[in-house]
Amino acid sequence: MQMPKADQTILDHRHMIVAGLKRIVPAHCVLDDDSSMKAYDTDGLSAYRQMPLVVVLPETTAQVSAVLKWCRDEGVKVVPRGAGTSLSGGAIPLADGVLLGLGKFNQIIDIDYENRCVVTQPGVTNLGITHAVQDEGFYYAPDPSSQIACSIGGNIAENSGGVHCLKYGLTTNNVLGIEIVTMDGDILRLGGKHLDSGALDLLGLMTGSEGLLGVVTEVTVRILRKPATQRAMLVGFDTAQEAGQAVSNVIAAGIIPAGMEMMDAPAINAAEDFVGAGYPREAAALLIVELDGPEVEVNFLLERVGDIVKSSGATSVRLSHSEEERNQFWAGRKSAFPAVGRISPDYLCMDGTIPRKALPEMLTRMAMMSQKYGLRVANVFHAGDGNLHPLILFDANQPGELERAEEFGNDILRNCVQLGGVLTGEHGVGIEKRDLMPEMFSEEDLRQQQRVKCAFDPNHLLNPGKVFPVLHRCAELGRMHVHKGEVPHPDLPRF
Amino acid sequence: MTNFAPATINQLKEALQTALADNTTLSVQASGTKAGLGAPHSYDATLDVSGLQGIISYEPEELIITAHAATPLASIETALAEKNQMLAFEPPHVSTIYKTSHDGTIGGLLATNLSGSRRISAGAARDYLLGFEAVSGRGEIFRSGSKVMKNVTGYDLSKLMCGSFGTLAVMDEVTIKVLPAPETSLTLIIGCATVDQAGKAARHALQTAYEPSASAILPKGAHPLSQSMDCALIRLEGVAVSVADRQSHLSDILGSYGMTDIIEGEPSQLLWQSLSDGAPVADKGNQIWRVSCAPTAGPALLQNIQSHCDCTGYFDWAGGLLWLATDDEAAHRPIREALHAQGGGHATLMRADDQLRRTIPVFEPQDPALAALNKRVQDSFDPHGILNPGRL
Repeated sequence: MQMPKADQTILDHRHMIVAGLKRIVPAHCVLDDDSSMKAYDTDGLSAYRQMPLVVVLPETTAQVSAVLKWCRDEGVKVVPRGAGTSLSGGAIPLADGVLLGLGKFNQIIDIDYENRCVVTQPGVTNLGITHAVQDEGFYYAPDPSSQIACSIGGNIAENSGGVHCLKYGLTTNNVLGIEIVTMDGDILRLGGKHLDSGALDLLGLMTGSEGLLGVVTEVTVRILRKPATQRAMLVGFDTAQEAGQAVSNVIAAGIIPAGMEMMDAPAINAAEDFVGAGYPREAAALLIVELDGPEVEVNFLLERVGDIVKSSGATSVRLSHSEEERNQFWAGRKSAFPAVGRISPDYLCMDGTIPRKALPEMLTRMAMMSQKYGLRVANVFHAGDGNLHPLILFDANQPGELERAEEFGNDILRNCVQLGGVLTGEHGVGIEKRDLMPEMFSEEDLRQQQRVKCAFDPNHLLNPGKVFPVLHRCAELGRMHVHKGEVPHPDLPRF
Repeated sequence: MTNFAPATINQLKEALQTALADNTTLSVQASGTKAGLGAPHSYDATLDVSGLQGIISYEPEELIITAHAATPLASIETALAEKNQMLAFEPPHVSTIYKTSHDGTIGGLLATNLSGSRRISAGAARDYLLGFEAVSGRGEIFRSGSKVMKNVTGYDLSKLMCGSFGTLAVMDEVTIKVLPAPETSLTLIIGCATVDQAGKAARHALQTAYEPSASAILPKGAHPLSQSMDCALIRLEGVAVSVADRQSHLSDILGSYGMTDIIEGEPSQLLWQSLSDGAPVADKGNQIWRVSCAPTAGPALLQNIQSHCDCTGYFDWAGGLLWLATDDEAAHRPIREALHAQGGGHATLMRADDQLRRTIPVFEPQDPALAALNKRVQDSFDPHGILNPGRL
């Protein structure tokens, strides 16, 4: 993965930049020695490492604003960072860029049960929000698997999902407002405790923009009452086709489960070896269907789901009868990554989405690719919304295997796009999928996205090298070719 | 001046390129039902996109429908109803306040990001647009988003298109997430002594685990249901056994606020459609406002406004959306001042004559830095300002 070439002039002036930053923020907020900066040299995509130019850890929004404005004036790049758990390399530093860590923004500002929202600083963890409100019976719904560590500001940047987003939506559907600082140093409030706004939906645009448009300094999220009951059903199938059809049949019957997860045979067996969750080892595919809500509703609908999966060819059906049993059903799924880590020295986790109906075709293609690349693959799958997480097993100590695994991964994502899907369902593009963007988007699609970037950051100083494979200069993107005075399309219907 | 009526996306592209070449500003229209929404603006020609219509594909088990943007909303709603599905954001039927012969197109609905009573539990129109194909004000065809439900690839330009009032690009194909329609619906009415009490009841319901899908407040005299009391209305939806169970629990809890009553079946459905549409204020004044605020701020906001001008209103979204009708031409001042005093939000002038909409801001004024950013984003799609210039 190539990053933009570091600017030698910036590297040469590092001591001046460090000194300049120390004039803007207290000296203890600037880390410029290698041992302190080492903690920031990678994120969740740990195959890539890069020491930043310098790390700045501001303590106030005014400092964030001052740092960004100064960097803009000096032409210094900035990489924003929350907790650094991005799986796509969104927070990987640049050699010639300031790493702007929001870790000190770790306070919850306001808990407002009557308006069902929490106002928080962006460095608070996803789970930290739930912890702050759970005694009153509330929670924050989006639940990325890294929720114990990932920050809510990072969730905004990546539009994080989770196993329950089939029913409760992604981050974008659960955020009411944010405060951002632009590369110009402007502090802007988008949304708040009220809903929607009477202008362009910049809140929606910012969510999932991967730190390229602005730095989030405050967040207002919707909190929900915890459902009265949660119950899960564990269903085995002889074929993935039948499991996929069962998922479609459940949804066609008008039931939207809180979560619907699928695992294939390699993932089932790895998980079973690891935690002994009681999964049917003989099954080719396993579904976990979870329903939540009022107890009578959950029980009533689970009966319907039971009938549907049986008529769809289920070979085994188990229903959780206690919270302990429900957690046991999930234990295998939730430990799928470490379980696979036990049977292989390394693995790559992919994140494409396909139309659900394309699942059998995708699994067939995946088996063929597995043979072609000579690497094993285990699949876990957010079946309800078509989001695939193939885990490609490899050994980084074997020369060429990492490259082969990456090529296998790229091939999977290309196939996702071919089948009508997308490159990433919840992990983001970052640097990982950056060079695959033209598989999904035309040149003009990408140019229009970059023109939006230019409206925020015309000099490409904020998190450059992420998301877009080619950085066009904004002046070039803005150029238009208009034939003044001509009528180029005489065949057009006119009246 | 030449007007345009493209029937395909390529003709749409040609129309926009011609307009660019001729320096022609355009008014983008399909059925024109929402012509009264937004600031009146001048234009050289109309771009009639009503030829871009028809459902392209509908896959109920994938929860996705793809259609051309000028497909009538009614056609979409009929197709979904046949499969027991719906647009979960409960689109307002705009003929109620604009007195038009029908309710417009799916593209117009998305471009204005209008959502009804279920907004508080299911999200807004902007939460359901998964992807689109459009021609930008640069005369270029581009796509964003996708036809799958979970996607974070690239910027979410769908969000920008929703609520842009056609000022960025002209959409052709739109892909929308749909959801199963509830099997049963029921409304719980709580008669309260004051609007404040009704507000508390409306919010309390949302803080329980009984999952109301909508919550409204009808001040005394604002609606036939609230002739003698201020009322909170709570809607429960789902399978019958669940609705009945939740209703009994909620009636117990909310009984402490006042007498409870129940409306079931079709009357319940019609009631919420009318609340989503603004029907209770549709004939109460020439001007209609829609004011979005924090739910707790709602009741005091109305009192504050009413102490300065003669108006009538009711609340949806548990107090977070005030529908207001007035004939007072100076009403915008107390409305926006009161909103500011109550913690902010936005006030939109939904209906008024052209003269008034020309004189006062239809949308909530923004601070200069934010307004400048909005303008730069707009320019990134439509640098010459040919699409609905001045409408937003």
